[in-house]
Amino acid sequence: MDEQPLDLWTVAVIGAAAVVVFLAAWEIVVRIGLIDAFFLPAPSTIVQRAYQMAAEGERILLHDVWKSATRVLIGFLLSALVGVPLGLLMGMSKYVRAALNPIVSIIRPLPALSWIPLSMLWLGIGEKQKFAIVFMGCFASVLVYTVAATLRVDVILQRAARNLGASRLQVIRHVTLPGALPNILSGLKVVLAIAWTCVISAEMVGANSGLGFRIWTGKEWSDTGQVLVGMISISLTVLILDILFRGVEWLLLPWQREETRA
Amino acid sequence: MSQAIIRANGVTKSFGKGKKTVTAVEDFNLLVNAGEVVTLVGPSGCGKSTVLNMVAGFLPASSGQILLEGVPVTGVEPRCGMIFQAYALFPWMTVRENVEFGPRVNRLPRVERLKRARRYIEMVGLTGFEHAYPNQLSGGMRQRVALCRALANQPEVLLCDEPFAALDAMTRQVMQEELLRIVDQSGQTVLFITHSIDEALILSHRIVVMSARPGRVKKVIENNLPRPRHVDVQLGDDFLRMKRGIWKLVEEEVVDSMSYGN
Repeated sequence: MDEQPLDLWTVAVIGAAAVVVFLAAWEIVVRIGLIDAFFLPAPSTIVQRAYQMAAEGERILLHDVWKSATRVLIGFLLSALVGVPLGLLMGMSKYVRAALNPIVSIIRPLPALSWIPLSMLWLGIGEKQKFAIVFMGCFASVLVYTVAATLRVDVILQRAARNLGASRLQVIRHVTLPGALPNILSGLKVVLAIAWTCVISAEMVGANSGLGFRIWTGKEWSDTGQVLVGMISISLTVLILDILFRGVEWLLLPWQREETRA
Repeated sequence: MSQAIIRANGVTKSFGKGKKTVTAVEDFNLLVNAGEVVTLVGPSGCGKSTVLNMVAGFLPASSGQILLEGVPVTGVEPRCGMIFQAYALFPWMTVRENVEFGPRVNRLPRVERLKRARRYIEMVGLTGFEHAYPNQLSGGMRQRVALCRALANQPEVLLCDEPFAALDAMTRQVMQEELLRIVDQSGQTVLFITHSIDEALILSHRIVVMSARPGRVKKVIENNLPRPRHVDVQLGDDFLRMKRGIWKLVEEEVVDSMSYGN
């Protein structure tokens, strides 16, 4: 057993201090020449480069973030739109499960990257191809998480509902769906991270905008500053999306608010 | 005056096929009259829960018949209100939404529903907690909600599957008296399963002692102890004499079932 957990404020202060120490150490090792600034630019250089990319001259950074984020969100939402209902169906019917499981097991192990050649052949390198890559990378996982979530709904709750006079359809609507929702959402949160890896890979291979493209061209031009700005932008964007996602969970799962605080 | 609500005629239930067939309940006969509280007592594994699940229509009998007000039980029976040991409350619904669930799926008008919910919430002493979620309540209070939810559906029979077994001794005592008060007030018919002889003696008009597997009726005992059965009754000579008698009956079965096991 651990002692008392730290309060939020203390956690924030300790975390911030650690980040400052880490950045300072990084800055120092680069400045005194222990690490070649070409391979790893100092944080101050990265900040400068970020400022250039965002505000001066090129002004491409926000555009890239926006591009990548919309690709992620649209592909992700499409996969959820198809995957969640299908997963629910599979979770609720052993027949549908038996029919679709083999197909899912064939698609699921394929990395999103392996879809790039075919998708480029079919769809070119436009937005549609990016959505398709994200979709293919996410879809099977959404399905698997949703099936698992549906199967984990407590049978006794379904019994209780039937006992109170609910029809099978009412059981699905009032018990199975809300019962599966928390686990579906935590599954989707994992999938959202997968969606980012898909989009970044797709942008590195064939695109003319987006963070993946920016990182790749940075490397081509030996601009390590740009590479790192791109990477950090991914981190920050994912972080923000994660916070937004938590907001969605907070809204949709009012009965779990107490638990998440504890 | 006494009208039969539940009648079980030669009910047998076996599970599995061929050599692995296990007979859980054999030639089980039972009569529960309107307004009566009947408890089924027996060692664990004697088929008590199986009987209850057959009355509720969750399990079909292998042979024999269960009649509810003269009509055979063929499917899940909304005329039976079930209370589970594990509460089986819907975690995503507030106390009031849980209580309203039965009337809601049975399409009672909204105003009527609210009125009914308020009445039963008051009856079990949960006023002020209408908007709490189950995970914010103690075990005793959760079981109150479950009781309330079952009552709000105004069932012909209340089926209780060891509802207080998970509660601490003191809460259990309070809940038993509470149930007795509500039942005496409303004339509710109750079929109650327990492995606690004390609980059976406190609650019931009649006690059905079951034999170890396969479960049959070993003896039916009339319980004429004065009601309400507060602590002074529970420490009285009559109570203790009956307890001793029942324990002797049950003890043989427990010893029996233990030699069966392994």
